[in-house]
Amino acid sequence: MRKLVLFGLATLVAWFAADSARGADLRIPSSGVAAGRPLTIGTDGQGDAVISLLGPGQVIQRKVKLGSEVQIKAEDLHSAGRWIAILRASGESHSRVFWVEPAQPENLSFLARPSRVPVAQHNAISGTVFLFDRFQNLVLRPTPVTFDLSVKGTGAKQSVGSRNGIAWIEASSGPKEGAAQFVASVGNFSVRRVVQQVAAEPCSGSLRMHITRREKDTVVVQTDPIRDCSGNLVPDGSIVSFIETDQKGKSTVDARIKKGFAQAELPASDNAAISVASGVTLGNELHLGGGR
Amino acid sequence: MRSSKPAIRTATYAAAILVFGVAALRIVRVRADSKSDAPQMRVAEVQPRAMEDTTQKAVLRDYAAAWKAIGSAMVENSTMPLADNFTGFAREQLTQRIKDQRNAGLTTRIVDRGHRIDAIFYSRDGSAVELRDIAAIETQVLEGGTVVHSDTSRIEYLAILTSAADRWQVRLLQSVPDNQSTATNQH
Repeated sequence: MRKLVLFGLATLVAWFAADSARGADLRIPSSGVAAGRPLTIGTDGQGDAVISLLGPGQVIQRKVKLGSEVQIKAEDLHSAGRWIAILRASGESHSRVFWVEPAQPENLSFLARPSRVPVAQHNAISGTVFLFDRFQNLVLRPTPVTFDLSVKGTGAKQSVGSRNGIAWIEASSGPKEGAAQFVASVGNFSVRRVVQQVAAEPCSGSLRMHITRREKDTVVVQTDPIRDCSGNLVPDGSIVSFIETDQKGKSTVDARIKKGFAQAELPASDNAAISVASGVTLGNELHLGGGR
Repeated sequence: MRSSKPAIRTATYAAAILVFGVAALRIVRVRADSKSDAPQMRVAEVQPRAMEDTTQKAVLRDYAAAWKAIGSAMVENSTMPLADNFTGFAREQLTQRIKDQRNAGLTTRIVDRGHRIDAIFYSRDGSAVELRDIAAIETQVLEGGTVVHSDTSRIEYLAILTSAADRWQVRLLQSVPDNQSTATNQH
């Protein structure tokens, strides 16, 4: 008789547990769930359960009384994307899929290329912004991004809408050399990069040389200040080649520009031609012996 | 005796046809499976620069390897498989997910049923790529050996990969609700 009562009780408990579990369910908002915002999940049924929320970068697990609400704090929910909520009670499980949106953009990853560029080059500079929220989720909502590229107060500003979390522009370098400030901004957030604009190739008209000194065995030639076609001094260190050709052969001196000038010491000759070049730019030609 | 010979011959032919038929069906099925398994990538929409053939192959190879790594890491609750193919936030995020699900006594089995991938961004300097991937995935969450959740879905992902010394690494992998990504990336 005692065994029969025990068996009856066990059956009753099992039936009750199974019935409670059958009644267990989850209620999750179908929209408006975002990273950094609190989330309330409703449960149905009776008894104890465990709820697990599996997100792209985290798992939140809580014990819960069925029939009550589960509160997820704003600071606990930070992965945007597809989540799975699983409620486990009395050996049974119920699950729902829900989505968490990214928060507002607060973090810009800004790639500015190249770091050094010649002046007056068409579309030579590229700027790419990846838009993230404060939890490093990519912000997919189209967002206007402002790019500002300027040297010594002059430059251009351009606004571009982001797509799939990315905004990019291509910009031409300005006519003035110097450190260009390249700033990308969204709302109150901005990131600054520096693109060094340097003089371009020497302008053919500006590459001119003259003889500065004649000695018994040598002749010293020096260029005028070497500028690009925008009037900027070609940077120090650029190579200028002086070539002297006479009946004995050819002598070449590769000199570096210093403070805008380049100079070379060549062998003296009764009858020689001296030419000057830098990169693809040819300068003037001098004649020794037979006069200029 | 004589009358049983045509019957035997007929039975032999029928058996042969059946064997060939089954074999042909298997071959067709295997080919179909292998076609769906091999990820493919379209580059028609990519901006602002075109993607070279060798880059396409490398990106696809390394992205496919990254998905294999996710599958292994999630089912083994181990961060080791992530080491080669993930970097930055994607790696931090997956590492945290694995630690959390280990603490919760859960594992996740991902059955990868194929990807439809579009390259949508390739940076001018060639250092970053963004992919839109519609992945057919079966997700099973297990507690011990018991499946507590299972679903099969087509899930859209946006992935950002950056070039490392000898491979492309996934820097961000984010699932996106339907219609939230932008179909074209035009300026």
